Amino acid sequence: MHWSSILWALFQILIFPGLLFLVALALAAEFVDRKLYARLQNRLGPPWFQPLADLIKLLAKQEVVPDLADKFMFVVTPMFALTAAVTASFYIPIWSHQALCSFPGDVIVVLYLLTIPTITFFLGGWYSRSVYSMIGAARSIMQLFAYEIPLFLAILAPALLAGTWSLSGMSLFYAHRPLLSLLNLLGLAIALVALLGKLERVPFDAPEAETEIVAGSFTEYSGRLLALFRLAIDVEMVVGASLLAAVFLPFGMDFGPVAGFGLYLAKILAVISMLSLMRTLFARLRLDQMINFCWQIAAPLAFVQLMADLVAKGTIARGVMIP
Amino acid sequence: MGKNPEPRGVRVAIGPQHPALKEPESFSVLLAGEKILESGVRLGYNHRGIEKACEERTYVQDLYLIERICGICSHSHSTAFISAVEEIAGLEIPRRAKYLRMLIGELERVHSHLLWLGVAGHEVGFDTLLMYTWRDREVVMDLLAALTGNRVNYGVNTMGGVRRDVSEDQKKQVLTAVDILEERTKYYIGVATQETTLIQRLSGVGKLNHEDAIHLGAVGPTARASSVKRDVRKDDPYLAYDEIPFNVVTSDHNDIYGRAVVRCLELMESYNMIRFIIANMPEGPIAVKAPRKVPAGEAISRYEAPRGEDVHYVRANGSEKPERVKVRAPTLANVQVVSHMLKDGYLADLPIVVAAIDPCFSCTDRMIAVAGDMAAINMGGTAFPGCADAGSKARATWEQVRQHGIEFYRRRGVDFARLNETFTAGGR
Amino acid sequence: MGETPMSRMGETPMSRTGETPVSRWIRWSKFMANEEAILKDLTGRFAFLEGKGRVARARRIFVEVPAEKWAEVFDYAVTQAGFTILCTITGLDLGESFGAIYHLSKVEGEVLNLQVNIPKAKPELQTIIGYFPAAELYERELVDLLGVQILGLPPGHRYPLPDDFPQGLYPLRKDFKAEMLDAPSPERQAK
Repeated sequence: MHWSSILWALFQILIFPGLLFLVALALAAEFVDRKLYARLQNRLGPPWFQPLADLIKLLAKQEVVPDLADKFMFVVTPMFALTAAVTASFYIPIWSHQALCSFPGDVIVVLYLLTIPTITFFLGGWYSRSVYSMIGAARSIMQLFAYEIPLFLAILAPALLAGTWSLSGMSLFYAHRPLLSLLNLLGLAIALVALLGKLERVPFDAPEAETEIVAGSFTEYSGRLLALFRLAIDVEMVVGASLLAAVFLPFGMDFGPVAGFGLYLAKILAVISMLSLMRTLFARLRLDQMINFCWQIAAPLAFVQLMADLVAKGTIARGVMIP
Repeated sequence: MGKNPEPRGVRVAIGPQHPALKEPESFSVLLAGEKILESGVRLGYNHRGIEKACEERTYVQDLYLIERICGICSHSHSTAFISAVEEIAGLEIPRRAKYLRMLIGELERVHSHLLWLGVAGHEVGFDTLLMYTWRDREVVMDLLAALTGNRVNYGVNTMGGVRRDVSEDQKKQVLTAVDILEERTKYYIGVATQETTLIQRLSGVGKLNHEDAIHLGAVGPTARASSVKRDVRKDDPYLAYDEIPFNVVTSDHNDIYGRAVVRCLELMESYNMIRFIIANMPEGPIAVKAPRKVPAGEAISRYEAPRGEDVHYVRANGSEKPERVKVRAPTLANVQVVSHMLKDGYLADLPIVVAAIDPCFSCTDRMIAVAGDMAAINMGGTAFPGCADAGSKARATWEQVRQHGIEFYRRRGVDFARLNETFTAGGR
Repeated sequence: MGETPMSRMGETPMSRTGETPVSRWIRWSKFMANEEAILKDLTGRFAFLEGKGRVARARRIFVEVPAEKWAEVFDYAVTQAGFTILCTITGLDLGESFGAIYHLSKVEGEVLNLQVNIPKAKPELQTIIGYFPAAELYERELVDLLGVQILGLPPGHRYPLPDDFPQGLYPLRKDFKAEMLDAPSPERQAK
């Protein structure tokens, strides 16, 4: 391999559209989320640079590792969280139909990479050995089992219809059959709700419920490690929004890079606004209520989505409906 | 399997410092998973020695000290105290003064209930409700500031009446504010009765049935939400509450949802009462001249504070200082109910169950002189004369703390040492 | 008019606004819910209370009960006379003895204040948590602040003083001075 191609790959991974770009986007997303949340609550909200300032402040702070904690796991988990979230973004098509990396089956990989941050929340909290952290950790993992099924079903259903397990392939399929993506609106709603659970936000923020268990898994975290965790959650929000945009809103990717990129920003802005809106509207659900909701309402609805896509696939195959 | 005498589980400390608690108190809960097996309460972190301090000050000084028992129901405490003193002294305050005291009292109830609604929202993770109600609460806070000069600790009571009159302009101001608040309260009633996640978090949580509420001695909205129709304003009317038409709001929900409903509807009652007070405010003086010395005697006064029944007992010995002052804040009666309500509940419900009695722990804990290590902390690390070894466990003696306090205010132009002399010498 | 409840309160009848015949009747019936009758009932049943009670004003009755008969009177007041609400317990330092006032209330609003005096040499009282579970904290206040022994009080956290408060110091006693807290106590020296 030529050295320039290695440099180019490094540039893509570290700067654009990799780590640096993603971090900038994540901080911007956090700002949008906080500002919108504040305005909806009749507050002023932070200035645009607040998320960056928070990040710098945390990076400069001393980090304290509790005596009882497992030092290795305590330090390693935040890095894993950030790495997994960033890696997942490489497989998501952003402004063209081609993602940075792509192979058949990458949709499964992305879903699993997005699960890793939650696992690290669990491990980090568990190995902190503090009561609040351990309760938060247990709640994280219980919540994971609740929202993961609806999320997987909601995202795999469109993939079934498209007949490909690659995100780039899916986006190509739906871009040429825009009407078919209307079929997946229910899936979009379910995925949005599940994403709230993944990001541990109101109404599904029981794992870090401030008034009950201080900060859940993150109670003992401070300084750089906390900064990494927070950044990981922000990146996860952007990647989650991008995933939803790529799967459910695959329009306008043929207009060239600039227009495509603008549209991409508009799409994730819309998703993030929806997330903020839901955060404003609801009270925090108790864990048992959250699990009941996911299993009794979200999962059956996701099955309905799956059936709808299977039926549509059958009709297309028989030539009844040609999109 | 027999009953396990030693339940196994994780013991979690909620407090003395915890985000759910706005004041220090400590709940220790034994958890099995998310379920609470048992819970214990430890109180007393807020003791400031007020009852003892009252014995060493004159009645007028006590009045303003008592007002500082609590920042939210300050008028309740000062009115309850001064009513008892006036009863012993045989003072009949003018009717206009009674109406003014009731006006401030009802405005205080409005601001306290709005505050509670916000806190309840926050405890169940519904911060939007907190932001909205606290914004609207500013209306009544501003109004109180306009009427009395202060947002909290109004200082409007004095022996023999009140210190400030209400002008015609201010009456109009009150009515306008009440109209705004009433509209907003209707909106919150709508939110509380329609927002699904909120109802899910509040209804069926913190159950307290009618019999238990009576048996455990619950007071105020906590009791009234278990259909205990008790309200001191009706049962044992003070001031001129027997002249004002109002309903005692009760609910048979027996849970936190019921408590929220009771408080919301009490807000509506209070608005009507304020309108009545303004419309029927009698003319006349606002205070009568009060003697400095109070004859020997005793009196107990009860007051329906926003959180429930507030009891003050005063014993006079004929001098200008009381022999004994006893305060029973509503939270002290209600806090015993919390453990009962927490049993077999979820950890997630603990904050809202505690908040549902609208606890005010600084009301509850009053007494005990602050001294020793605590004093050093309380003074915010200020160096004391005689505390050269500040690096080690610096401790100030009582006299040092006292001197420091006097010096601190003297530098700001207030001389408490002289103030004391003028009071005891008889001049004002 | 003579001795009406109104004049007893030192209140002058005046025109009242917003009053209906019904509310007037309720208000007057409250004034007439006769405190004297309650007192007479008590003295009739317990002869030793003769001259120990007084009606201070409408709905306020003060009775002093001898320590040895206190349990009897208290039981009667709570279980039969209808004083089912415990407002609070006030502890007093009366110099030679301690006093405890049990402020009991009827649902209708009458307050019966039962005062019992106990010698300082043997400051013991029976617990009333059998009647009122909520009395526990009031009784602990008596223990902590006055040094009264409450017989039958289950073990538990002390209230309201901190756990390391010096033994044998009781802030609400009249001979207590804040400076006493600065005196070295064995516990503090051990620290």
